[in-house]
Amino acid sequence: MRAALRRSWLVRRALREAAPGRAPAPPCWSCGVALPSSDGPCFCPACQALQPPAPRPDLFRLMDCDRSFRIDAEQLQRRFRSLQQAVHPDRFGQRPPKEQYYSEQHSSLINKAYKTLLSPLSRGLYLLELRGVEPAQETDCDATFLTEIMEINEKLAEPKSEDVLEEIETLIKVKQEELTREVTAAFERDDLQEAKKLLAKMKYFANLEDKLKAKKIPS
Amino acid sequence: MAALRAAGAALLRPGPVVDHYENPRNVGSLDRNAKNVGTGLVGAPACGDVMKLQVTLGTHRGRPFKTFGCGSAIASSSLATEWVKGKTVDEALKIKNTDIAKELCLPPVKLHCSMLAEDAIKAALADYKLKQDANKESDKKADNA
Repeated sequence: MRAALRRSWLVRRALREAAPGRAPAPPCWSCGVALPSSDGPCFCPACQALQPPAPRPDLFRLMDCDRSFRIDAEQLQRRFRSLQQAVHPDRFGQRPPKEQYYSEQHSSLINKAYKTLLSPLSRGLYLLELRGVEPAQETDCDATFLTEIMEINEKLAEPKSEDVLEEIETLIKVKQEELTREVTAAFERDDLQEAKKLLAKMKYFANLEDKLKAKKIPS
Repeated sequence: MAALRAAGAALLRPGPVVDHYENPRNVGSLDRNAKNVGTGLVGAPACGDVMKLQVTLGTHRGRPFKTFGCGSAIASSSLATEWVKGKTVDEALKIKNTDIAKELCLPPVKLHCSMLAEDAIKAALADYKLKQDANKESDKKADNA
């Protein structure tokens, strides 16, 4: 069973590694002109046709960020907006269906890249993936840590009181900031195994955060 | 047409996984510090689910569990508590995640939920055995004294 999970991960990794981030770009689909390779959406210099996104692009390159756990959130947001402005499907309503389709693909890829790089958890997991580190799969047995998570879950499951929810919200926030600091340090030491462990812990708090948000929505 | 309708009905009928999710058996908690209670607390780092399964002597006390996670994790642990009931420690250790997955018809992406349930049973039984051995030790000491 575990072997099967690992095999499927290895296959995915092999597929990814078979496709380097920056392959030579194919010629323009519309006029056949040779194109330079590019990290972001590319328009043909001769006929201005939008080109299809590269298969499996490096999301850090796409978003013009260094491949690092530390990112500049403001710069990321600026890049996100300028990319969306260039390729958003609303701008392609009058263009050929093929270009409309490519603009949809670009737009959703940019959304995915932005979301992945913005949240520390998904950014960290993506960095590990790029470095060929298998995500944590083995069952966790750290009793002290799991007891803490269990207790917060139990508190959240009780009938809601504003005070308790606020207390939990602060606790989760503090823990996440603490973990983010530790993950940053681990990546900077290039200690990928430690980063993997810390990111696994982060996942439990991300779940708690989701549950808390769901609970806060007035029903 | 009739065959199609029958197939559709089969698809819509809630399977065992929905049943165990909507009516989980044996939800609850025991005092984890009690000498006759074995507690297994496990987590799945990939999805952030946590599962606590406890075992104790005598069927009347039940084998409670608490799971915070997806429907398949809740159903797997609910079924696990049902299967542990009335079994000796050695019999219970033979419960395999593949059997849980088969019984609940879990899809491949949810197989790790049944794995979590198997690991929870094993952890609870290991804790139980540890406490029993410790009890025996202290009984021996009491006898010798």
